[in-house]
Amino acid sequence: MLKVAGLNVRYGKSHVVFDLDLTVESGQMLALLGRNGAGKTTSLMGILGLLPGAQGRVAIDGADVSRWPAHRRAQSGLAYVPSGARCFPNLTVAENLEIAARRRAGSNGSSSTSSRGTSWTKERVYELFPKLGELQANMAGGLSGGERQMLAVGRALMSNPKVILMDEPTEGLAPVIVQSIGRLVLELKQTGVGILLAEQNHQMALKVADRAAFMEKGRIVDEMPAARAINSEVLHRILGV
Amino acid sequence: MGGLSNAAYLFIVAVGLSLVFGALRVINMAHGSLYMIAAFVTVVVANRLGLALGFWVGLLAAVIVTGAVGVLIEIVVLRRVYREEHLIQLLGTYAVTLIVAGAVRIIFGSNYRTMSPPQLFSGSLSLAGYRYSVYSLFMIGAAIMIAVGVNLMLYRTALGRNIRAAVSDSELLSASGVNVARLFTTVFAIGAGLAALGGVIVAPSQAVGTSMDSDVLVLAFAISVIGGLGSIIGSAVGAVLVGEIYSFGLVNPYTNQFALAFVFIIMTAVLTIRPWGLFGRAEQ
Repeated sequence: MLKVAGLNVRYGKSHVVFDLDLTVESGQMLALLGRNGAGKTTSLMGILGLLPGAQGRVAIDGADVSRWPAHRRAQSGLAYVPSGARCFPNLTVAENLEIAARRRAGSNGSSSTSSRGTSWTKERVYELFPKLGELQANMAGGLSGGERQMLAVGRALMSNPKVILMDEPTEGLAPVIVQSIGRLVLELKQTGVGILLAEQNHQMALKVADRAAFMEKGRIVDEMPAARAINSEVLHRILGV
Repeated sequence: MGGLSNAAYLFIVAVGLSLVFGALRVINMAHGSLYMIAAFVTVVVANRLGLALGFWVGLLAAVIVTGAVGVLIEIVVLRRVYREEHLIQLLGTYAVTLIVAGAVRIIFGSNYRTMSPPQLFSGSLSLAGYRYSVYSLFMIGAAIMIAVGVNLMLYRTALGRNIRAAVSDSELLSASGVNVARLFTTVFAIGAGLAALGGVIVAPSQAVGTSMDSDVLVLAFAISVIGGLGSIIGSAVGAVLVGEIYSFGLVNPYTNQFALAFVFIIMTAVLTIRPWGLFGRAEQ
């Protein structure tokens, strides 16, 4: 599904991410855990092709996309839920969704109802988040934090991605919304989408993840099944719990 | 009326400048050069082909030539400076104005050239006791059509939606699967096309010469700054203000030396009260 090997990211002279290796399988979720400044966001942006200083191998479904610009990686199945629920504030909710609308890469219209479930449309996103349906003509800039988070997830779904890269989707949200995002993530996994979740909130992350990778000073220092990570020593050491 | 027909071509030029700045965040000093290229191409083609068809063929030729030069400028110069600070961008596009000015002198010479309005819009007609040239009315009509067209493009098409998205977050736009490099080239080509339309429309109403690039640039900047960079309504209101004030200054024999000063007095006044322009938004 998504395979990253030897990813290094440099900002000018400073080296931020070192030899990152990770794999996200179809229908599985990898939690990338670490403190602020450990390099999680930079890693995600490097995988997405948004950083010119990133080097290393990124493959989607076996196809090497390392030399592709960000929009082609997105078209071939990577979706991004950025931190802070970034949206296009000067566009309506509906336009925010339409902008990412894309048929699933490699499928033509007729086979869109495959074993992975039907493909995502605006109507299906509104079914999932009725609130967004009510607000569809509103400017995204006027939404609350929770609503914008729904919109960011909805926008990612609209591209019918193979893998979603989420950056702290629960940051600053009320516990109820965190729970519903957790449930949504579980549902998404069942449709065969792979998820790479960068988080500081390990409680939610480890509940829904299959595996956990721990990041410190730009390197992955340990990786293990999520069930084992909950009581691991590395979790205590890195996140101080 | 003279003021409004000036406002018309100035609006067309300023809206292109504003559109490019809004999406690409680059202040394009070469915008006036594109306008000048279009005016020269129109005059040359029109004078060769005659009154009936010349203007229209000239329009087509000017938009094509200017659009192509615009695409070239975007790919060769702007792509290298998007991530740089404004000063570098200014220097880069200013270098283009020097190159174009030199090229225009070599190709077209430095004499003034004039042409007549197309047959369809020649002559004058009287309205409410005043006589207006038909061509002035055409200029105003063209500006209104372009305003409506740009507005429809921005708010009713996928291209416009992507342009508006690029204004707020081009990184997120490329992560959403949109080819932002190609989008920027397209926006710049549209901006160049608008500069060209301004140059085409002005050609029958003024002498076409080699200083028209900086002449129009100064006024287009004043309009964009007064109206608010990136705002179409702002460009329209700014153009009417500047067009009327400038014409008023020029018409009056006591003030025609200082016509441009009037424009800048207004600009200073607006900037003192609203530094982001009448219809602009403050930058965060």
